[in-house]
Amino acid sequence: MRALCLFILFSTSLHHLNAQNGMISGTVIDRETGETIIGATVQCQTCNSNTATDLDGNFTLSAKAGDHTVEVSYFSYKTLRLSNVKVSLDEVHLTGKLYLIGEDNLKLDEVIIYAEVSKNTETALLTLKKKSTQIIDGISASKISQIGDGTAVEAAKRITGVSIEGGKYIYIRGLGDRYSKTTLNGMDIPGLDPDKNTIQMDIFPTDLISNIVVSKSFLANEPADFTGGLLNVETKAFPDKKLFKLSMSSSYNPSMNLNSEFISYSGGSTDFLGFDDGTRRLPDLARSNNIPTPISGASEAQVNSFVKSFNPNLGTIKQLSLLDLGVGISIGDQWQWKKRTNSNGEIPKLGYIFSMSYKSSYNYYDDVFYGEYQRYRNADSLNLRYANKQQGALGEHNVLLGTLAGIAYKTNHSKIRVTLMHLQNGISRAGNFNIDNNGEAVGQSGYIAASDNLEYNQRSLTNLLINGNFVKPEKNIKIDWRIAPTLSLSNDPDIRKTAFTFEGDTAFSAGAGGNPSRIWRSLQEVNIPSRLDIIKKLTFFNEPSKLKYGLSNTFKERSYEILFFDMQFFGSQNWESADPQKILNLDQIYPNSPNRIYYQSGNNSPNPNKYRSNSNTAATYVSSEFELNIRLKGIVGIRAEHFIQRHTGRDQAFASGDINGKNLQNEIVLHALDFFPSVNFIYSLNENQNLRFSGTRTIARPSFKELSFAQIADPITNRIFNGSFFNYTAWSGNLVETYVNNFDFRWEKYLKRGQLFSISGFFKDFSNPIEMVRIAEQQTSTEFQPRNVGKGKMIGAEIEWNASLNSISNYFENIFFNGNITLINSSLKMSAVEYNSRKDYERAGETIKETRQMAGQSPFVINSGLSYYGANNKSNFGIYYNVKGPTLNIVGLGLFPDIYTMPFHSLNASLSSPFGEKKRNEIKIRVSNLLNDDALHTFKSFQANDEVFSKYLPGFSISIGLTFNL
Amino acid sequence: MTDKLKRYAILSIVSLALASCDTSTVDPVDPTDPNQVDGLKVISSNITSNTTWYSDTIYQLGSRVSVTSGVTLIIEAGTVIKGEAGSGSNATALVISRGAKIMARGTVSAPIVFTSVADELSPENIASGNFASPNLEPTVNGLWGGLIILGNAKISASNTTGDVSEVQIEGIPTSDSNGLYGGTDDMDNSGEIKYVSIRHGGANIGSGNEINGLTMGGVGSGTLIQNVEVVANQDDGFECFGGTVNLNNIVSWNVGDDGFDTDQSWAGTLDNFIIISPDGHCFELDGPEGNYKASHTIKNGHVIANGDNQSGDLINIDDNSRVSLQDIYFMDVLPGQQINRVTASDVSYSGIVLDVDTVDKYVNGTVPAGITAGQTPKADINVFSWTWAQSAGVIK
Repeated sequence: MRALCLFILFSTSLHHLNAQNGMISGTVIDRETGETIIGATVQCQTCNSNTATDLDGNFTLSAKAGDHTVEVSYFSYKTLRLSNVKVSLDEVHLTGKLYLIGEDNLKLDEVIIYAEVSKNTETALLTLKKKSTQIIDGISASKISQIGDGTAVEAAKRITGVSIEGGKYIYIRGLGDRYSKTTLNGMDIPGLDPDKNTIQMDIFPTDLISNIVVSKSFLANEPADFTGGLLNVETKAFPDKKLFKLSMSSSYNPSMNLNSEFISYSGGSTDFLGFDDGTRRLPDLARSNNIPTPISGASEAQVNSFVKSFNPNLGTIKQLSLLDLGVGISIGDQWQWKKRTNSNGEIPKLGYIFSMSYKSSYNYYDDVFYGEYQRYRNADSLNLRYANKQQGALGEHNVLLGTLAGIAYKTNHSKIRVTLMHLQNGISRAGNFNIDNNGEAVGQSGYIAASDNLEYNQRSLTNLLINGNFVKPEKNIKIDWRIAPTLSLSNDPDIRKTAFTFEGDTAFSAGAGGNPSRIWRSLQEVNIPSRLDIIKKLTFFNEPSKLKYGLSNTFKERSYEILFFDMQFFGSQNWESADPQKILNLDQIYPNSPNRIYYQSGNNSPNPNKYRSNSNTAATYVSSEFELNIRLKGIVGIRAEHFIQRHTGRDQAFASGDINGKNLQNEIVLHALDFFPSVNFIYSLNENQNLRFSGTRTIARPSFKELSFAQIADPITNRIFNGSFFNYTAWSGNLVETYVNNFDFRWEKYLKRGQLFSISGFFKDFSNPIEMVRIAEQQTSTEFQPRNVGKGKMIGAEIEWNASLNSISNYFENIFFNGNITLINSSLKMSAVEYNSRKDYERAGETIKETRQMAGQSPFVINSGLSYYGANNKSNFGIYYNVKGPTLNIVGLGLFPDIYTMPFHSLNASLSSPFGEKKRNEIKIRVSNLLNDDALHTFKSFQANDEVFSKYLPGFSISIGLTFNL
Repeated sequence: MTDKLKRYAILSIVSLALASCDTSTVDPVDPTDPNQVDGLKVISSNITSNTTWYSDTIYQLGSRVSVTSGVTLIIEAGTVIKGEAGSGSNATALVISRGAKIMARGTVSAPIVFTSVADELSPENIASGNFASPNLEPTVNGLWGGLIILGNAKISASNTTGDVSEVQIEGIPTSDSNGLYGGTDDMDNSGEIKYVSIRHGGANIGSGNEINGLTMGGVGSGTLIQNVEVVANQDDGFECFGGTVNLNNIVSWNVGDDGFDTDQSWAGTLDNFIIISPDGHCFELDGPEGNYKASHTIKNGHVIANGDNQSGDLINIDDNSRVSLQDIYFMDVLPGQQINRVTASDVSYSGIVLDVDTVDKYVNGTVPAGITAGQTPKADINVFSWTWAQSAGVIK
């Protein structure tokens, strides 16, 4: 008989309904594989109770207060006996001793569990990590709770090799969102932001999250479209016990909150709930092909009333910002459904969870800067020349409302759960800027202007997960199926930009600051992912093995539209002052002189900035997990994906009536059947040390937006994204997918009490990587386009540690120093066009090489923290530092230098402490950005001073949170 | 636009019935063309074969129409061309692409007019000698795009591919390759533009990116451009991006940005012109952007700096500008207006006269000998008799 041990994660609690009876509950896990065991017998003679573990490996026993002994047994495993299991009346926390009894007198491990019921997952995750054949990392709800992170994005930063871009988007091993993927409950969810491939993580309140796991090597049962990492957010499904938690938090940033200079604008009455009440609605007539203008044939009254149907507010207002505020409620429970007791005496369980959270936060940047810089033609002029400088203040009010409701029904051998999630997010943004355009720079006309910018971004995500799984122990088969349709909407109703130009007089100048404009953008995406996974346990060369087989299909469809309206003046202008609030006064609107305002449509019919795309990925895989001997395990698999993407859209030429223009009607723009092999091995050097290897092939596909004719201007900076379908001398217009070969090695050592140390190395090669490239032909406006560029390679090393300072002194035994450092060397061989364009602008003394850093790839990532975990309901304290190296963001060509994302040195600290009669409540204090660093993108050129592309000062903030367990 | 198309389609059916009994029509009406009704033709596609526009028809630009390489568009004297409304990518314009030709030969008695659909000006008005808009004021701008001529002459652009410089012209979205200009043929010939008035245009594409009244990108010296008027354009009146073309007898009146704008080493001469009350600078004269360097001459001019609009700088020069400014008279100058720079080494001034008491305050820096105060008109304004500006009485 094999020597296998059981490892139990367990916990106890008091059953609230009967103070004399508590509960012992836990999960039974195979110590060798890290997987849960179904159908193990759990006996407690001291409490006259016994049961069997369910399909998740969980069990629950009722017990009176006192010490108990629990025995766990399972065919072919050694029986595990736990003594001193304390069930006490007044404490949820408990210290238990867990004896692992193995064959051949394996040494007894003493594991002390400090976790309470809801905090046991971190240990589970570590076991999973240690035993998984795949290279994974993760963070559980318990760790999130300990650190006091408010959103998934903050929590995810704690995970090895993970860093955050723009406060929202995940980078894994310094690789940008193009090569990272986010899934929700193992299923694809659409990105809400059309500019990104992955979903922004700041919309997941941590109260809804069970755990976040990052896979860094691809397994055949996972989607193949990730390279850096696959980040899965698992939402809570089923509480172990009755849960009723209230939480509230508030945060203060001296420059952002309670600031009477905060800039805002007059919005709608439901802004505080994260959606617009119609204040920013597009006027009905605005969609007409022939909107009323003085030259459309409409009467004066029709033009007048049409202009008046637009919201007249064009200016910002100063308004006191409040404190950031968050409130949340989580409730859940489970019952035994005795009526449904089956013939085996097994009682099904029914559980639910409901969680609702609300957050309101303010950002105020009083010194935002956006710059456009150019090289000089003269190779001896090394420094850069500005083309445009935009400086000012920006205020943002962000509201996030999250709701999660789920029910689950579970028997020992099957489970079905239905979870519905809705996230509603509204961001109201207002800015004042001074614009200084340099007429001496190439393509610029030279002017001074002042602009008021008003924006509202309304996003929502509605996700329904239906998940069933069941086991057939007699056949050793486990089946899991899920379907998770999502509807996501992202609308920017009524983006208003109003820029007065000061050129002799004060007026709007189309050739300078532009006429006042308004934009409506809308995005709707439906995703319907479904999957079926079957696992069969087998014996292979007398060793246990598993065969996995699955099918999945993901259908996605997105529709996108931009509508643009430009203010016009029927005749010359005359303004008394540069006051945007007075522009749409009734006496300025057509036909009233002097300004005779009307709106002109910037929308062709059909609209070149409207598209509809859909894609379907049908996949199947087979993989086998086996043990060659007691030390060597492997997972070898292959996945086939049939991908097809279709697009409906047209270019501007077609939209403006040119029959030779391009027009796609649901035409195939990307189509392939690909095979993705995955080979993973883990070699156990001894009980606590592993060597791992994986070799995989993965893919990064262009997004809907990238495979389009869309031209999307950022309303504040006027920087324009162009879809890849437009061709240039330097670009064919045919954007293709990127294939990546990945090789990973890792040595890891696990020590007591969750300490670990690991060293990894990885190598990846990229065919046709996609990067954002500055369009050199366009010199007046700043425009970018995604293009395939050359061939890329990267080689990296990663060190991770989680060490107790016990070795220094016992006094420090509860202090842990954890972190990870990832170093990456990426290199891309440039296309001839890029090389020649760089060569053309080679600076004096500079030698242009044929290779450069890959865009979106940070040369290093450092995450590190020092934490104190007080045992037995004492306080926790931690201080955390994260930074990512300078990363090429946008590839410049010729005149235009490269743009880099500069390191943001993030230093945060948090303290949490229980309080209250039974120490059931908790207070958390968190301070952010202690180094007061700024978020900076810069232009870099040979021996030139770095110049700012964009700059924000997030400032220092402090937050206090209270959690009440009722 | 489609609404209009439909409308004209219906009209065309009606008119076909009429046309069939009107055998005297000279204009070759294509019976299969739904865009053409008697007296009006909507142009929505690029012009890809040699085409003539006749003076008895109003040609309505339904989109940004490019005359593609190798193709000649002939426009008869007295023809009226009207752009439909729109801004952004929806702006209408006529683009003479590289390698294409325009032969727009108006006459003193029958000029060719480019204007907006809102303008009620008809070929009959022109035939009867009334060239002014009957219903639009000379300040109404931005109603359509403009006329853009692109050629193969040298430009001094910042991006060079081999020994050819080509860039995308301002005012045309980057995605339209008919907007590329620049090359190596300084003698390039884009045709003729004579006695042409361009009005009420300049629709904007995005901030800082709009259509000039007459945009010339890399236009070669084989091209003839004389007696051209731009009225009420939302952006610059005239803008030359490199090229070698010479301009004679030019009027720029009430434009929303600069009166006359040069970039990328235009190597031609502007001779005899009037600029009246631009909203931007009277002159915006930039230097080379690439390695290629050439200079231009601007002479015999008459500038009325303020009127319906208030202008910025009298002359705006960059440090690397290369231009010879000769014999230009500035009147109606306001305090605060300046010639912004006199230190640029490749800019010379001679015969520049400002109608002010003393020039010190109107020149930023040491006043060169070629700039003086006085009242000495320099241009021959008699040649502008045909223009709307002349008939409106603003030329003084």
